[in-house]
Amino acid sequence: MSDPRNVIVFAVGDARYAFEIRWIREVVTLGFVTTVPSAPPALCGVCNLHGHIVPVIDVTAIVPGAEPASGTARQGDGALLIDVSGSTLAIRLEKIDRVASYEYDSGYLLDGASRILLLEPTTVYRVAAEQIALVGNSEELASGPRAESL
Amino acid sequence: MSATIDFDAEELSLLRQLFSGEANDALDTVTRLCLDGGANRPSHEAFGEMLRVTHAIKGAGGTVGLLAVVDAVHQLESNLLQLRDGRPAWNSGIRDAIVDICDGIRELVERGANAVELPVGLATMLRTLTTEQPAPVAPLETDPASAPILPLDAPRSHLRVAPERIDTVMSNAAELLFDRTRIERRTQLLRTVARDIARIRQQLRSALDDAAPHGGPAAYSPLAALEAELAGQATLLSQTSAALIDETEALRRTIGELQKSLTAMRMDTAQSLFSYSARALRALRRATGAAVELVTRGETTEFDKTVAEALHDPIVQLLRNVVSHGVDTAAARVALGKPAHVTITMTARQDAGFLVLSISDDGAGVDTKTLRERLVQTDRWTASRAAVASEDEVLRSLFVTPVSVKDDATAFAGHGIGLDSVRQSIARLGGEVSIASSVGRGTTFTLRLPLSTAVGTAMLFKVAGQVYAIPSVFVGQSLTANPADDMIAVRHEQLPVLSLEQLLGSTKPTGMRPAMEVTYAGRSVVCTVDKIVGLREIVIKQLDPLLAPLTLYAGATISGSGKVQLILDPAQLVRRGHARSATPHPVHDSQSAPMLAAGRALVVDDSRAIREAMTSMLSREGWIVDVAEDGARALQNTAQHRYDLLVTDLEMPNLDGWGLIGALRADPKRAGIAVIIITSRAHAENRRRARDLQVRALVPKPITRRKLLEALASPNLHGNER
Repeated sequence: MSDPRNVIVFAVGDARYAFEIRWIREVVTLGFVTTVPSAPPALCGVCNLHGHIVPVIDVTAIVPGAEPASGTARQGDGALLIDVSGSTLAIRLEKIDRVASYEYDSGYLLDGASRILLLEPTTVYRVAAEQIALVGNSEELASGPRAESL
Repeated sequence: MSATIDFDAEELSLLRQLFSGEANDALDTVTRLCLDGGANRPSHEAFGEMLRVTHAIKGAGGTVGLLAVVDAVHQLESNLLQLRDGRPAWNSGIRDAIVDICDGIRELVERGANAVELPVGLATMLRTLTTEQPAPVAPLETDPASAPILPLDAPRSHLRVAPERIDTVMSNAAELLFDRTRIERRTQLLRTVARDIARIRQQLRSALDDAAPHGGPAAYSPLAALEAELAGQATLLSQTSAALIDETEALRRTIGELQKSLTAMRMDTAQSLFSYSARALRALRRATGAAVELVTRGETTEFDKTVAEALHDPIVQLLRNVVSHGVDTAAARVALGKPAHVTITMTARQDAGFLVLSISDDGAGVDTKTLRERLVQTDRWTASRAAVASEDEVLRSLFVTPVSVKDDATAFAGHGIGLDSVRQSIARLGGEVSIASSVGRGTTFTLRLPLSTAVGTAMLFKVAGQVYAIPSVFVGQSLTANPADDMIAVRHEQLPVLSLEQLLGSTKPTGMRPAMEVTYAGRSVVCTVDKIVGLREIVIKQLDPLLAPLTLYAGATISGSGKVQLILDPAQLVRRGHARSATPHPVHDSQSAPMLAAGRALVVDDSRAIREAMTSMLSREGWIVDVAEDGARALQNTAQHRYDLLVTDLEMPNLDGWGLIGALRADPKRAGIAVIIITSRAHAENRRRARDLQVRALVPKPITRRKLLEALASPNLHGNER
């Protein structure tokens, strides 16, 4: 019955989230985060990490019903680097809470009386990709070749 | 002519390699200047240039001890001098002989130190060039390219190509990358549409099933038959889009291979970078008298020539830094048991797709304790920050701002000058630089860079505090424009104004703003921005595939300070500019737009396919449609019926579109007809002409239902109906 998970617990705003340690490639400090105009809320921007351009993801825009993050992504913010679906994502965080082992129960980690949402990299990627595709496709349809009126 | 050789064997071999490059360039110059004018004598300036470059390599050849080359170049120089003065007069025979001589000297250069004497053939050519006239190659002038320059029995093992040519191919390949990205996006969109259709089909199926009493008769109803047909088409569509995805994947692989082989063509070994460094250090040694030796490792490490060239300046800066600050006194060195001279070790190696280049010295090292104090004394850091900062952070501060300036009379005078620019140059290449140091043992700078780079020139500009780039080939003139205007006249043409302040920053200022013309596939827009930064060489990086649906961006680059700058897709800017100028609302819903009331329409086109397509599209909108295959037949039709709308092609036999419209407008009874032109020639001249004829819309081919609906809904057209 026991199903312990080794996780990194991190905070964005007042909420705490966790990823299993096995998904985390690196914990990094973000450089300047370039805003991508027209991007959905899940994409805070892009950042240069060791010469690679990495999308910076805001999980509060991905988890349904989450409190939106208070501040915007800033230089010096921490992030978790995750390799998923052929991409490398930087998951922005405001604070690393702890590295610990918790009992897992249907999507959540049991931390005494409170519960911490355990995020799955593939789910985060899928939701972010859907949000981005939605913006992209509506732009695409809105700006297809048109008749030139005179 | 004497040669004093004051290099060790290793240095000499590096220098000879360097010399061989210079000599080949000089010989290329001579060859080019001779052949440039065809049969004509090179100009006085051309002779001056030829003499200058031959003289330069004569000097350099002596320095590296290649006496045979010096001898040959010297004779060539004397010959050129005589020819310049018209003794003897220039002819095509002399011209070709010089080209042959240049080839001969090239071979001599390639043989290097093994060539002690001039080959007999070359010696004869040089001796007889101006004394005995060689027979002209042809009685009359022929195309220089057709005259064999090299003897056929002397094939060359290498094809020498000017680096610029490879650069051109490389930048074409980079264009291909942009194109590929665009195709991939469309393919993704197609797949989404295919999925949607499959889903709708599924819903239709269940709706039909629900409507059928006990599932029986509905299966035979016409609706069910249509549903089955739709199912077949939907399957075909998803199969096609899946196949298309496979094919774009194949395209991606091919472009990848192309880039790889082009990159391999541009590959250089670390050896030439080391030889450059050896020269630079030699100059520094001469200037400062510092006792410094260079040791290199990893000569065979391969990386892109572009990267190698971009590393020249940073390496000189780093070496200068070592020579000015890393060198400890001989006495101090001996006391520490080190050899009297400082050794700089340059190491190149590959690591996971990166070039790692380290430059270490065994000199004094950086005294971080004193450095901390200096940082506080010069108000760069607070005392508390200096107290808690790690050794690493303190060392890294050297890269941010020079700790001291030149006239600062401390041990740290000038330390760090130039390191900031090193960091920036490396960052622009997508790399990083780090420093490690230990007092008394020396300092190591480590550069980590991509092995190759896709480089291009781009126009950089600023909007809402961020810098963006557009590949320069798509950028025309810079001008000023008011984003509040829809159109602006540029070179007698009305171009749409696209406010990038609005597109990228969501504010739309008014008044005259800096702007630039962006052209893609023959169409232009004028984009207004906050500030134009200017043309820059940029390293093009792909964006993560996650961002692919954001069509506005074609890639990104990294600034000197390490910030990501987005590259905008010129195709999208042009499209958005024209879309915005066609419809006043940025998101236009054609389904709900007021539509020209359906009536009787005449479609005129010499292509049956287009007539059929238009008929089908218009019929679906409730129009009664007649067709005609040229202007003359169309005139007959209009004499028999009253039409509300004419949709016509321009280029047709018998009577073209202009003739047809002209004839209709000239007839009071038929002049009121609404006209839409569909054409593959939607250029400015035609637009102007169409406007004069009160044509309501000009639709570029290929025609789609969407474009047609928009033309019908165009406010202009609608307004006229009221």
